[in-house]
Amino acid sequence: MITAALNYELLQQEGLETSLLEISMGPHHPSTHGVFRMDVKLDGETVVELRPVFGYLHRNHEKLAENMTYLSSMPFTDRLDYFNSMTNNWAYALAAEKLIEVEVPERAEYLRVIMAELTRLVNHVTLVGFFINDLGALGTPLMYAFREREKILDLFEQASGARMMCNYFRFGGLRNDVPEGWLDRTRELVDRFPAFLDEYEQLLCENEIILSRTQGVGNLSRELAINAGVTGPMLRASGVNYDLRKVDAYGIYDRFKFRVPYTDGDTGDCYDRFMIRMLEMRESVAILKQALADIPEGDIIGKVSKVFKPKPAEVYGRIEGPKGELGFYLIADGTTKPYRYRVRPPSLINLTVLRDMCLGGKIADAVIILGSIDIVLGEVDR
Amino acid sequence: MSFELIKDILLATVPLLVIFPSLFAFTTWMERKALARIQNRIGPNKTGIPCTRIGLFGLGQPAADGIKMIFKEDIVPRGADKLFHLLAPILALIPAMLILCFLPLEFPWGKFISGKVQAFMLDSAVIFFFAISGLATLAIFMAGWASRNKYSLLGGMRAVAQMVSYEIPLLLSAVVVVMMVGSLNAKEIADAQTGFNWFVFTPWGLAAFVIFFIAALAETNRSPFDLPEAESEIIAGYFTEYSGFKFALFFLGEYIAMFAISGLAVTLFLGAGDGPFLTSAPWLSVVWFIAKIFGLIAVMIWLRGTLPRLRVDQLMAFAWKFLLPLSIFNILLAGLTHFALDARVAATSDAILYSIHAPHTHSGEANHEHPKPVAGQKEAVMGALHYTDKNWMGAMKWFSKAALKGHAQSRSILGWGFGIWAMSLIVLYVMAKGLDNVSRSTAKPREYLYAE
Amino acid sequence: MSILGGGIFKGMAVTLRNFIGSYFYKERLTTNDYEWRAKDKLPQSIGDYPKEEGEQLRDTTTVNHYSRNFPMLLHDTGEPMDTIRCVACQICERECPPQCIYIEKSTEKKENADGKPQFYPAKFDIDVSVCMSCQICVEVCPFDAIVMNSQFELSTPNRFGGLLVRRDDLLKSNDYYHKIHPQEAAARDQKMVADKAAKEAKKKAAAEKAKAAAEARAAAAAEAEAKEDTE
Repeated sequence: MITAALNYELLQQEGLETSLLEISMGPHHPSTHGVFRMDVKLDGETVVELRPVFGYLHRNHEKLAENMTYLSSMPFTDRLDYFNSMTNNWAYALAAEKLIEVEVPERAEYLRVIMAELTRLVNHVTLVGFFINDLGALGTPLMYAFREREKILDLFEQASGARMMCNYFRFGGLRNDVPEGWLDRTRELVDRFPAFLDEYEQLLCENEIILSRTQGVGNLSRELAINAGVTGPMLRASGVNYDLRKVDAYGIYDRFKFRVPYTDGDTGDCYDRFMIRMLEMRESVAILKQALADIPEGDIIGKVSKVFKPKPAEVYGRIEGPKGELGFYLIADGTTKPYRYRVRPPSLINLTVLRDMCLGGKIADAVIILGSIDIVLGEVDR
Repeated sequence: MSFELIKDILLATVPLLVIFPSLFAFTTWMERKALARIQNRIGPNKTGIPCTRIGLFGLGQPAADGIKMIFKEDIVPRGADKLFHLLAPILALIPAMLILCFLPLEFPWGKFISGKVQAFMLDSAVIFFFAISGLATLAIFMAGWASRNKYSLLGGMRAVAQMVSYEIPLLLSAVVVVMMVGSLNAKEIADAQTGFNWFVFTPWGLAAFVIFFIAALAETNRSPFDLPEAESEIIAGYFTEYSGFKFALFFLGEYIAMFAISGLAVTLFLGAGDGPFLTSAPWLSVVWFIAKIFGLIAVMIWLRGTLPRLRVDQLMAFAWKFLLPLSIFNILLAGLTHFALDARVAATSDAILYSIHAPHTHSGEANHEHPKPVAGQKEAVMGALHYTDKNWMGAMKWFSKAALKGHAQSRSILGWGFGIWAMSLIVLYVMAKGLDNVSRSTAKPREYLYAE
Repeated sequence: MSILGGGIFKGMAVTLRNFIGSYFYKERLTTNDYEWRAKDKLPQSIGDYPKEEGEQLRDTTTVNHYSRNFPMLLHDTGEPMDTIRCVACQICERECPPQCIYIEKSTEKKENADGKPQFYPAKFDIDVSVCMSCQICVEVCPFDAIVMNSQFELSTPNRFGGLLVRRDDLLKSNDYYHKIHPQEAAARDQKMVADKAAKEAKKKAAAEKAKAAAEARAAAAAEAEAKEDTE
């Protein structure tokens, strides 16, 4: 990996005065996905050193949550990974529901699955768009992705009142039932989605430039992925079949029939990470179809007392978010506020392998590797 | 200086200075609109007549952009080399404007005011074209260096590497046409293609055109070769530190260079101003010329809307390992094919011509019997005459007419002609495939596993 | 790098299809003009935007029947301050996650819509720049006095005073609420009626219980008295 530095050292030995080009990519850079910074040292175009710098978007999320009631920090979880507010809500609700004994009604469980899978579609479809944008396309796939995302966000708005900051989940269920006709509109969208995916795949998956740009770039070995705690599509692209929807079967995921795409672990490069997401969207559509067919009528929220005051306990609730394992660790001390509130952000932990993947590549590779990790700075910095 | 000379100079240069910048304005609008439609957006549609709500499909957008650019603050970085920072955009524009002069454009008014329609009737126009367009590299590197910005420097370095590399296949693909015509004069090249004898219809011409077009994309920094201004990697490349009017000049220069290089492609391969209805309205030749340029630019926009960017090492490998060998091979093939065609077809057509001349040479004999006219003889002779005129299309038309009437020699000519064409196309394809296999990475779609 | 695989041409076919399709199929378009708002309702020129300090664009219609943007205070039919539902209990002020609500309770009571003397908010300010539209205040309000408005053009030329929305600007009638969120408003009215009925029933039951208890107590007392008397 580090052989790329040889060229530079060779020049040094010959007595030619050269120095590495140091560039601070970010925090204001078109493709660092927010206020992220990479201090890179370049030998020509080759990256010989890379240091990720973040924290520009730190908002004190965990400490804030320790100073307010359990429910009050629910809207703040929307702002973690602002693409996937529904799954963030679910992870937090799942953790808090472990503190109290509450039965989540059937309809709420189904709606949770529907919302989570729609969120996964939103995340993956835009991620692929951004990823191709990082590759240098002029935003065409991104625009197609945004069109589909808009349709799903419209559904979110109809259900929760807001497009991105949904704040829809509550301890023991959901805030309100979906309006009339919502399920039909969702069914229509889900039926149409595979046609869009076909077009998307036709546009991207065989394009020779994309293939040659992404294959063999940013290899992440299975060992490193496991040791670094990488989760989600990135881990599966490195050849580990690990999906919390199968492992934990939280909610009612054990009722649905779906497959988890993963690789044989030989490469684990950007192309794998990109394709795993493309394939996962198909599976999400399959889950959505089943959930929309089976959803029962009924209550939307279980019996929870108005004042949320759990007994002292320690819990960890986790879900398979679109970016990886999203976990909330709560310590209750018997008051209305948590004693400790900790988020396990998949973006941050997946980002830790950035340097190992980028060294030796070109600067253009560093950009697409960062894109393929799929980070949202709201979640990295919290 | 005589009045005539001044008039000639004005006639030759003013249209270039007026038409192409206004075409530039139209092209920016067209590009935005086309890209928007490719991306399922509407594009500019509100900017029309000022102070009203008349949209005019956003045609006011270029004017609005221009006004904005002029009135924007011109920011020069503190550490920048101010002189070169100022000079670079000007130097980027001037060669682009200069090379427009070599295009064989025949403006309609030139005919009745003055015979001189081209600014420079150089005998070595093609060479000059490449020589002057090479200057753009200097301007871009100057901009990258003078800005004192690391991204600009990276962009400048990329630009130098890319433009120097791609100039070689660009030139070598043009050599084929020069070989066929036997002249470097743009006007003569254009004249050689009248009557739909466009070089793009020949196998070597097609290959050369494709190579030329790809290299032209790289020369003008268009997607997928827009590495010097790669937004996702190096912000805006060499013009990161440019704003206001200087930025507009760069922009203008880039588009004029696009026109110029498309114009050269049209001149070399697409028959210059050749097109239908020229006999009744000769002024249409300008229209055809510009329409062809726009056709090429439309393809560039289409590519830009579809393709991502190459990486810098892949870009170099593509130029040196694929385009360069292929263009050299293409020259070789063009020569061989031409020779083979000449050897067979020319001999046969000479024979046809000889067969009608033959009675005259022996007319002294009284008891000479006129040879019985073969069916299709007349058409075959017409074909042969066209062939000696190097009018391929006409020859093919007449020969096929003759062949339909059962003329044996015409049949053999057509058979040989098409055989050689098909053969050389196949050879070119095999060659390209082979080069591709040699230089290709193992990039191909993969299969994935599923866990139930 | 291979260019002869045809993948590029497949992609180009897709973009061409989209290029042509975008002219014929409206559902292909990523962006559309607002259909829900009439052309004359849009701000037509720069003069339509607020000029005075603290002034905001007020009468903009809603995006759709579901969106929420910013809280408003509800009052029933009649003069806003006479029928205000808010009793200044300050629960929302406490529960608001970003702490953007500021309430001052009135010193004296005033009759509300039901004719019951109640406190009312002397001051009720919400800071637009801090509010994050989370709707927690709506959920915790026991009087259904605060709900979400969908008005979104809250721009103002004054960034200090203008961003603090006062009580009188926040007050909106229940009819307006029905207009912007019909389903939600109907459900809320239904719930309020049910709550009222339940409350009344409870009250009645409580009163009856109290009455019964009093009677029982009286009876017991009488019994005790009688007992005492007998002793």
